[in-house]
Amino acid sequence: MKTVKASLMATTFAAAAFAMVAPGAQAAQSIAKTCGPNNQYVIGFSQANFKEPYREHVNHDLQTLVKNYPQFKLVIADGQANDNTQVSQVENFLTQQVDILFISAFEAAPLTPAVSRIYKAGIPVIEMDRATEGNDYTSFVSGDNRAIAKEAGEYAAKLLPDGGEVAILEGLPSSSPAIERLEGFKAGIAGNSKITVVATQPVDWMQDKAVTVFSAMLQAHPDIKLVYTSNDLAAAGAYIAVKQANKLGQVKIIGTDGLPGPSGGIRSVADGEWAATFVYPTGAAEALDLAKKILIDCATSVPRLVTVPTSRIDADNAKEIYAKGG
Amino acid sequence: MSLPILVLSGIEKRFGGVQALRGVDFTLSAGEIHVLLGENGAGKSTLMSIISGAAQPDHGAMSLDGAPVNFQTPRDAHAAGIVMIPQELDLVPGLDIAANLFLGHEQLTGIRTLARSRMMREAHELLRRAGVSLDPALLVSSLRMGERQLVAIAKALAAEARILILDEPTAALSATEAEYLFGTVRELRARGVGIIYISHRLEEVPRIADRVTVMRDGGVVGEAAPDAPQAELVRMLVGKDFKDLFPPRAGLLGEPILNLVHARFVPLVDRAGWQAPQDVSLTVHEGEIVGLSGLMGAGRTELLSALYGFEARGRWVGRVEIGGRPVKLGSVATARRAGMAYVTDDRRGTGLVLGQSVARNIVMSTLPRVTPWGLASASREQAEVSAALSRFDVRPRVPSTRVVNLSGGNQQKVVFAKELLSGPHLLLLDEPTRGVDVGAKAEIYRQLRDLASAGLGVLVASSELPELLGLCDRIIVMHGGITVASFDAGVSEETLRRYSLGEVQAA
Amino acid sequence: MSGATEENPAPVAATAPRPRKHPLSYLIRFQSLLGLILVVVGGIIFSPRRHGHILFLGPENIANIVRSISETGILALGMTFVIIAAGIDLSVGAVLGLSSVLTAALLVNQGWGLATTLPLVVVVATLFGLMQGYLSTRLRIQAFIVTLAGLQAARGLALIASDNTFININYGHGPGSAPPAFAILGERLFGDTFPVATLVFLALAIVATFLLNQTRYGRYVFAVGGNERAARLSGIPVRWIKISVYGLSGLCAGIAGIVHAGQFSFGSPNDGSGYELSAIAAVVIGGTDLFGGAGSMIGTIAGAVMLGALANILQLNDVSAAMQLLATGAIIVLAAGLQTLVGGRDGSSR
Repeated sequence: MKTVKASLMATTFAAAAFAMVAPGAQAAQSIAKTCGPNNQYVIGFSQANFKEPYREHVNHDLQTLVKNYPQFKLVIADGQANDNTQVSQVENFLTQQVDILFISAFEAAPLTPAVSRIYKAGIPVIEMDRATEGNDYTSFVSGDNRAIAKEAGEYAAKLLPDGGEVAILEGLPSSSPAIERLEGFKAGIAGNSKITVVATQPVDWMQDKAVTVFSAMLQAHPDIKLVYTSNDLAAAGAYIAVKQANKLGQVKIIGTDGLPGPSGGIRSVADGEWAATFVYPTGAAEALDLAKKILIDCATSVPRLVTVPTSRIDADNAKEIYAKGG
Repeated sequence: MSLPILVLSGIEKRFGGVQALRGVDFTLSAGEIHVLLGENGAGKSTLMSIISGAAQPDHGAMSLDGAPVNFQTPRDAHAAGIVMIPQELDLVPGLDIAANLFLGHEQLTGIRTLARSRMMREAHELLRRAGVSLDPALLVSSLRMGERQLVAIAKALAAEARILILDEPTAALSATEAEYLFGTVRELRARGVGIIYISHRLEEVPRIADRVTVMRDGGVVGEAAPDAPQAELVRMLVGKDFKDLFPPRAGLLGEPILNLVHARFVPLVDRAGWQAPQDVSLTVHEGEIVGLSGLMGAGRTELLSALYGFEARGRWVGRVEIGGRPVKLGSVATARRAGMAYVTDDRRGTGLVLGQSVARNIVMSTLPRVTPWGLASASREQAEVSAALSRFDVRPRVPSTRVVNLSGGNQQKVVFAKELLSGPHLLLLDEPTRGVDVGAKAEIYRQLRDLASAGLGVLVASSELPELLGLCDRIIVMHGGITVASFDAGVSEETLRRYSLGEVQAA
Repeated sequence: MSGATEENPAPVAATAPRPRKHPLSYLIRFQSLLGLILVVVGGIIFSPRRHGHILFLGPENIANIVRSISETGILALGMTFVIIAAGIDLSVGAVLGLSSVLTAALLVNQGWGLATTLPLVVVVATLFGLMQGYLSTRLRIQAFIVTLAGLQAARGLALIASDNTFININYGHGPGSAPPAFAILGERLFGDTFPVATLVFLALAIVATFLLNQTRYGRYVFAVGGNERAARLSGIPVRWIKISVYGLSGLCAGIAGIVHAGQFSFGSPNDGSGYELSAIAAVVIGGTDLFGGAGSMIGTIAGAVMLGALANILQLNDVSAAMQLLATGAIIVLAAGLQTLVGGRDGSSR
């Protein structure tokens, strides 16, 4: 707490100085106002919500990995899937003068002004999963939703060499990952002209809705050979629907996220319930590495975009990865 | 008296198979209070709908200031200066008085915002003209019923009313409030407004009327003098003599049921305007009808509700005995176990579930009996309900009818049936005939007497002295929560009044 | 109002003249089913067909529909008691989540058996409901506020019970897995057609219908909701009834939570978010008066099935998300409007 107060004093002056010179123009200046290996730093992480398992997974990764950095203290705030809540949490981080902000915005545009403000106040901002608009952030760590879904589409095209009917369970229709994953998947299967997408329905990332919706799809289209779901929970729901329709083995399921642990998609693939899932990386390691460079190493510049590669979990590697704990 | 401003002649109106009005003549002069009396269904409401433009006559003519008029809508009548104030006042409780007075024709400033201060000033003036000293900024919801009534009248004045129709304006008012209303009405008369005053309360007639017209069965029975004795008015209204309204007394008394000796009720919390029973001594025997008399605020209603433990939390001290044994009253459950039943003055509000069937209502107080082991027994319920329907002559005799669709008199019967089905020994009644017309009153008196002859004890509070004198075996006068005197049936109204005012202390 | 007409069909006095049946009165009898009939007819018309068969009416599809409404249906049963007693319970979705998480946590993390876990979860949920009822009547806070607070509190408790995460239920023996018998809630019976979750709903629906229509308790609930003062004057234990309906609602939410955990082999603190609105919608579409005193359990069941059938027919036709929301809104208003229209004639025709 003492360091926070101390840095608060320092930053007041630093921020004033900072405001006079355009950020980025000073090549020799370090990004952080206070930096060096001998201080304690507070990382404020504004998480969009704690509801989706993927978010929980990110939190967990960050909490585990931050232990490797004795100088860092991680504070996580739950945005409760509410722009307004998340904005006020970012504002609170500014008031508390955290040393660096990690943020996974619930929605990009509404969070932009708040993030802009904290960035202009001289606090480095690492965005995760979703970038705010404009240029007011230090770095953006992300998986590429479109690329991951495209890979899933190409994999599906290979799974069904003779073509057939395919269904898609989309996420929350208005959210950008849902849109990108839908588009990416469609682009990926386009290579196989014998595949037809017979049904696309939103299930809002929810397992219970996925069961209901996919049950109806199997009624309307009994020949569905493969279903692509935009997250692991929906894939789990699709599996229940397939089981209840007595079609186990007849419908291939592809998930997205590739979460570890007994509730995650990796186990489902390892158990043969799904054909595959595609890891959407948390970016926790990459984000913490950036924080280290900025705060401890006093870096003068860091990459603006860090894309974390995806990996496919399928029958070949699932058991091994699951055994390693994800 | 000046020439009439409103003249109706030979008005006829038929609704389906019912001849609601059969050739009615009616006149009203400026600066006159014309009281219109009649039982429910006599045709008063139909006549008023025609005057106020809500209905059109089949035959007959109406003229205003000598010129024939034919109102197609209430708006036409309104424009001609005829305003009716219904029983259910059309005021918005959440708005202040001024906003209510100008509702629908708000005054605006140059930039089309509300001209609040101007409306406040004018509202103040309107209230003053109506003889009302109320702050126009008060919320209507904070007003008492009587004050709301006055605001409604002021609202009529705002619409430049020349003819004002008041439909039972005192039905929900206390005696003081009613007195205040009379003052306002008289003042309007002095300003030349013609007033048609519809009422059930015969005792009001001599105090307010310039002229009285009595209607029965869709026709005018005749005019009565404003100071005509009540007995004569009753004869005109129902075609029967006043004393015939009351059944003969039985005179056979059984054991004492309720016995209070210097009993006092200590409320858990003191409520303003709630006169807790201070020192009550009375006895009610089997087969006896005991009346509670007293002014408003004497503590009659409070005594009944404290005995029954209904919306009165607290405890009794002093001697309280039921059937000769001391009891601790204070909750509805104990009162019912002791064999009491209670019908409040707000029968619709506290006695009935309007949206539910007659059967459901009737068995409500005896549910444990028709639900052995907690399960509803259709056969027991049917037996109870059918017995009650025929005993109390509820019409139509269909258990599934929703209570809201019954006439007021039949609703009343359902309340009695419900309460008496539980087989009480003592019935507490508060203003049993409030808002009821004379014919139905007679029916209630007869039923009460029948019940008493079957052994029931009845304790009835009423503000109508003739009713108490005609009905009761004994009358107890209360003043300030204290029972000050007890009289046998033969006592005079004058004596009761003197004791009620606290002018005489009991020996 | 439909409750009253349904339950007193026989004339009491043989001598009493029986009023002539208005032709509309037959429609009124089915008033609460009107929305369902509407949706079913629409479903048949717009259903995709295969080999001449109407998919919408296929046994698997019907099973899908009744499975999808089993949880909100169970919530709606309890909600019917609350609304007839002139209350409202916004906490049911959250209590479902709490119960679901609690079930998963106790079975998996604590390694408890079914015989201890399930009764405990039900008791916790019931107590939660009773507590809300107590606060609402004792402190005279509007039920809307109390149960809104209860919604937040239940979600918070669910987060604590789950240790801020979600719990997957694996079946097997030994620590970290739940008794395999629990998986039956996700199964289907009778030749793989009838979902067990629906069976639970059906059983509870029968009990609830019986309780509301055939017992003293049910009459008390109607009386309290219809006119609280009249009920008090009649010696009905008004306060206890008002508290107990929230207990019933909590009980239903508890059972629904167990069903949720069993159906999805999964307990998440977010389970059932928004379910309270579906439950309230089912109750109101079923003809129960939001102001209390009138309503029917059959109507509620029909309302719940209607909502499920509506979602199903839209999904069968692969209708877009936007159109699904629009159509659902429109049909709910239409169904409710038709009911009021027919119900209104009930009042004026006498």
